[in-house]
Amino acid sequence: MKGSRRFFLKSGATGMGAAALAGLPALPAFAAAPEKQEKIVVMNPRGIQPDIRKIPMAARPATLDGKTVYIVDVKYPNTKPFADALLAGLQAKYPKTTWIWRPKAAGYMDDDAALWKEIKEKNAAAIVMLGH
Amino acid sequence: MGVPTVPLITARFKELVTTISYKKGIPNMRITYTPHPITDRPRDLCDKYVQGADPNTGQPLLEEIYGGLTRPLSTEDAAPGFLKRDPRTRLLPSDTPENLLAYFHQQGFTDGNAIILPTERKVEEMLKGTSRQPDEWVGQMRPSPPHEAWYYTVEMVAVNAVMVGAKPEYFPVILAIASKGLTSMFSSTSSFARMVVVNGPVVKEIGMNTSIGALGPNNQANSCIGRCWTLISKNLGGSGKPGETYLGSQGNQLNYNNLCCPETEDGLPAGWEPLHVQKGFKKTESVVSLFSGWSFNDIAWYSPLPQHEVIRGWLEHFFSFGTTQATLVLDPLVAADVAAKGYPTKEAFAKYLAENTGTPGWLYWSQNTEALKQAQAGVEPYAGWLKQGPGAVVPVSRYLRRAGPRGGGFIASLTGKDDPTTIEVVVTGGGTNTFWSGGDFGYAGSASVDQWR
Repeated sequence: MKGSRRFFLKSGATGMGAAALAGLPALPAFAAAPEKQEKIVVMNPRGIQPDIRKIPMAARPATLDGKTVYIVDVKYPNTKPFADALLAGLQAKYPKTTWIWRPKAAGYMDDDAALWKEIKEKNAAAIVMLGH
Repeated sequence: MGVPTVPLITARFKELVTTISYKKGIPNMRITYTPHPITDRPRDLCDKYVQGADPNTGQPLLEEIYGGLTRPLSTEDAAPGFLKRDPRTRLLPSDTPENLLAYFHQQGFTDGNAIILPTERKVEEMLKGTSRQPDEWVGQMRPSPPHEAWYYTVEMVAVNAVMVGAKPEYFPVILAIASKGLTSMFSSTSSFARMVVVNGPVVKEIGMNTSIGALGPNNQANSCIGRCWTLISKNLGGSGKPGETYLGSQGNQLNYNNLCCPETEDGLPAGWEPLHVQKGFKKTESVVSLFSGWSFNDIAWYSPLPQHEVIRGWLEHFFSFGTTQATLVLDPLVAADVAAKGYPTKEAFAKYLAENTGTPGWLYWSQNTEALKQAQAGVEPYAGWLKQGPGAVVPVSRYLRRAGPRGGGFIASLTGKDDPTTIEVVVTGGGTNTFWSGGDFGYAGSASVDQWR
């Protein structure tokens, strides 16, 4: 064992000597990496992103006095204390507006077309409250 | 909705909401942010949040909401039209390999591991693996439903196949996966994982490992195909940008390879059909089958109990994010043991499991709020189950596919003996021991490989 180690060290542990000692196939002669790389052209790995149709925002009233605003709660788990605090805060700060807290139907990922219709028919505004 | 609206979002999701608003066509949506999180916060803290400022703008929160609902719109915000995306170029500007590799990593084109740069010559070679034309459409993919879908051709898939070091003969398998349009990096705050199982003659043709270490990093085809699904998801499906198109809080190591494996069809017990045959394909067809879930366990249990009972016990108490579906990956030795105990098909075994698993009480009550209300009101059988305490097993299986109202948990049916199960069984491995794996994966669909040859 001792003798093998000396032989290994004497061989410089490089190139074929070390590889042969380890029972591996001979390595090709070492070639230094070129200092300057040639430029190459590669292909774009990305797909095609579609253009997006803009949705104009709804016109804003100058004031919310006399109007109704729904706080639409998507019911993310354990957020009711925040919804209560928000409703109380808005009612205290803007008492001339009617603030309504309304839990959205079903789970937070489900649509609630009936509620959207109701809000639109009342010409109201909405705050959509999302978790987390 | 067509009425003045202000979304109120927790501050952690600013990047996501900004991105989604843009993608939904409202780039300047008036959003107010609250501190994060608002879930499980006491009322006095919530009052402070409401009376405080938007953490992202520093503006008083209530005034910002009011302003968002009343401030006049700019001409741009009121106008219809299109948001133009940067046109895609087929080739990238030339540069040195070193710079291009750095650019690919920087742009998020990779999974962080080394890649092969997709030169035109290499992509041409890859395209020899299919008879399809380079400009044929393969499919569309999105990170999750709120996002827009991206589109891609055969050539674009080939570029990604080159990047992971795939051989041209793997390409039809990769195209079949891409054709399903299912991202491997679904954007949710839970960290989704995927699995892809390959069946049919293509498994042997391309030298996939069906034996010892089939699920490990031991085979070029298994590795490249699984990895390529993730690069496709990022580059062709617009997925995987943390904070914008990927939200998994911790991420998932399984996304590196998506548990890509072939089924060991010659190790199936007599009467057990290969997965693709179960899904309606002929045995002689080559098929990929995709699964969606979150977590995966590797299990060996030396017990006096037979394997089918050990698996039943594991399923009963298994708990993860996805607790209503399961996929078992059995070593051929385990499959043989199970079959010998009287299960002539995979379906028979899945039926036994679904019909003989209950749900730990704490889990059942935490997921079935309607049942809990009824139990608390004294309605049987719920009241009796609740009386037994959270440690008792409620005799309702999580693994029967029941129709019922969404969000209501699995209360809908208490009979359901003939309902299909949500348990899938796949067989792979080298038979060195009686190991099996399982996780909360559900079947998400299959695609023909032969159509992409």
